[in-house]
Amino acid sequence: MLKIDNLHVAVGDNKVLNGLSLEVPTGEVHAIMGPNGSGKSTLAHVLAGRPGYTVTAGSVTLDGKDLLALEPEERAHEGVFLGFQYPVEIPGVNNVYLLKAAFNAARKHRGQPEVDAFEFLTLVREKMKLMKMDESFLSRGVNEGFSGGEKKRNEILQMLVLEPKLAVLDETDSGLDIDALKVVSNGVNTLRSPDRSVVLVTHYQRLLDYVVPDHVHVLVRGKIARSGDKTLALELEKRGYDWVIEEAA
Amino acid sequence: MSASQATPKLASVPASPLTARIAAEFAAAGDGAAEPRRQRALAALSEVGLPTSRDENWKYVNLRPLEKVRFAPPSTDARPSIEASDLPTAIGKSRYVFVDGVFDAALSSVNAQSGVTVTTHAVSPRATEAVSGARVGGENGDLRFALLNAAFATDGVQIHVARGTDCQICVELVFVATAEAKAGASYPRINFKVDANARVGLIERHISFGSDANFINCAVDVEVARDARVQHYRVQETGSRAIWFDTLTAKLAENAKYQVHMVNLGALSARSTVQVQLLGERSEVGVFSVSVGGKNQVHDTFALVEHVAPNARTDQSFRGIAGGRARVAFNGKVVVRKGAHGTDSSQSLRGLLAGTDAEIDVRPQLEIYTDDVRCNHGATAGKLDDNMLFYLLSRGLDRDTALRLLKWAFLEDVVSKIEVPELRRQIEASLAGQLNESAALAASQDPMAAAPAGATPGTNGERATHTSKENS
Repeated sequence: MLKIDNLHVAVGDNKVLNGLSLEVPTGEVHAIMGPNGSGKSTLAHVLAGRPGYTVTAGSVTLDGKDLLALEPEERAHEGVFLGFQYPVEIPGVNNVYLLKAAFNAARKHRGQPEVDAFEFLTLVREKMKLMKMDESFLSRGVNEGFSGGEKKRNEILQMLVLEPKLAVLDETDSGLDIDALKVVSNGVNTLRSPDRSVVLVTHYQRLLDYVVPDHVHVLVRGKIARSGDKTLALELEKRGYDWVIEEAA
Repeated sequence: MSASQATPKLASVPASPLTARIAAEFAAAGDGAAEPRRQRALAALSEVGLPTSRDENWKYVNLRPLEKVRFAPPSTDARPSIEASDLPTAIGKSRYVFVDGVFDAALSSVNAQSGVTVTTHAVSPRATEAVSGARVGGENGDLRFALLNAAFATDGVQIHVARGTDCQICVELVFVATAEAKAGASYPRINFKVDANARVGLIERHISFGSDANFINCAVDVEVARDARVQHYRVQETGSRAIWFDTLTAKLAENAKYQVHMVNLGALSARSTVQVQLLGERSEVGVFSVSVGGKNQVHDTFALVEHVAPNARTDQSFRGIAGGRARVAFNGKVVVRKGAHGTDSSQSLRGLLAGTDAEIDVRPQLEIYTDDVRCNHGATAGKLDDNMLFYLLSRGLDRDTALRLLKWAFLEDVVSKIEVPELRRQIEASLAGQLNESAALAASQDPMAAAPAGATPGTNGERATHTSKENS
């Protein structure tokens, strides 16, 4: 279970998260919604350990382990996966090479032997089929020249290969057409299981039609202003965020 | 024999203690008198002297080790015994091996190629004569080390490719330096002449064996006739205490295309001076240079392209990484002469700082004396992209692996221009070693999971990688 308690985070002098508390029990999918600038992406990045954010108070644990004390790669080894809003292009680093290196890094951490290339390719091909990705993506540079939709699919492909304990998806739905949204949602749903948690950061209710959340939280000024079930997302879609912001004021 | 006795024919008095010592060693070596060409080279060198760090185009390179080297070639008595298996895996149809600048038939595997004539001094003493030293010093010319080579080289190789010959991966030259710098210098010397309409590839590599503290001074002359296409691969992997100087001149005729790929990995101090003249209309040159320095290595490349004829093209790309306390420099200069209208030149020079005490200098320079030209240049020097690094870390790669992978990726677009698969595999393996990478990147050469994007998976990629790793 992911447990965030009274988290305060600043970027430079700017306080972005102001006492955020949230529990995501194992097996659940939670959606984090909120207006621009409410701190949604900051939360996602802080969970993954991106440099540049200062945690001034509070704690974050995953199954009792202090995440904030860990380096980004150690968090990944503990099963944290961040799906980037803007996946980085890394020309010259082969997509399948990164996948395999990431996969084997996790196995090494768990004391398991590395898988060989053949075994790994079999696994990746199966996941790629699910993501409706052409095999040519494997030999290309990481996200190099990928369209917005292809980048997001590639993020979900990585997630499916790595099978994280906690997946944090930062606006994975942004920039997707309806077909790509269905493919991506299908990928996320495949990962749903009693031993994993998913945090979906999103602006829009649309994604939640396909990945139905157990809980929806609205972030306003770095704090959770309101929580509810999936109907809260529908209400936000209809009424906008203003009423929640007013209530929070 | 003293210097004053030995050099009475010199027109001018040696300009510095260094040139005086050079002249003395020349005289002491004894056989110089037999060759007027060498005498003339020495006289010219005595007049202009060797460069100093006060010269604008020589400020990055460390010239001080010259004070301690012996300029004459070493005695062959102390040469270590070398087996062909000590050398990198052979590439190309015909291999010529030179030990301390002198052809070694036993180590070579010579196969006659139709249309290709390779001559060494052992066959014809005239082989050493062809390398010119026509323009010395001066505003845009700096061939002083080539003069030093011309004065001392006792051997050399002349490669002549006849009109219309097609020999893509043709001749491989391996220069092995074995002598300590204080025992003597190695003078590789190449004259490469390609006639009209030929297609040819030349591989040139420089390594050390026995001692890793050699003094090597290499001179290369290239002439490409009209409509010919030349790929020239140059790999410098000399020993970690070696001092390596290199001068390459190239002249291109109408519609000739010459691409020179330079990979600098070895040596304590390496300096390449490249001067290309685009003399024929629509000629094209590509200067693709990769330099990876660590520890206290110094790598310096000066590449001058002179557009003389109209509608010619230049493509200069440099990728350099400096780690540890290394200094890596690339000075890329393009001069567009009057009348060279329609010039199209592009420079992409990028340096990566990978050590807190390291230094990168990339300098694109343009001199344009005509209208109607298209010259663009980009130069960057910086550290690795934090966003890329975080992305890799967030996927669970440890920091060392992530950094190595990003360095690799930084070089990739220039390394990928190497069109000889086996050579590229060997270079990639060496680069992986230089980037302090062991298993991960070498494993990436496995065709099932290649690391370099777009790399052509070889049919025997795995085997080749392991072989070349043993050699590196």
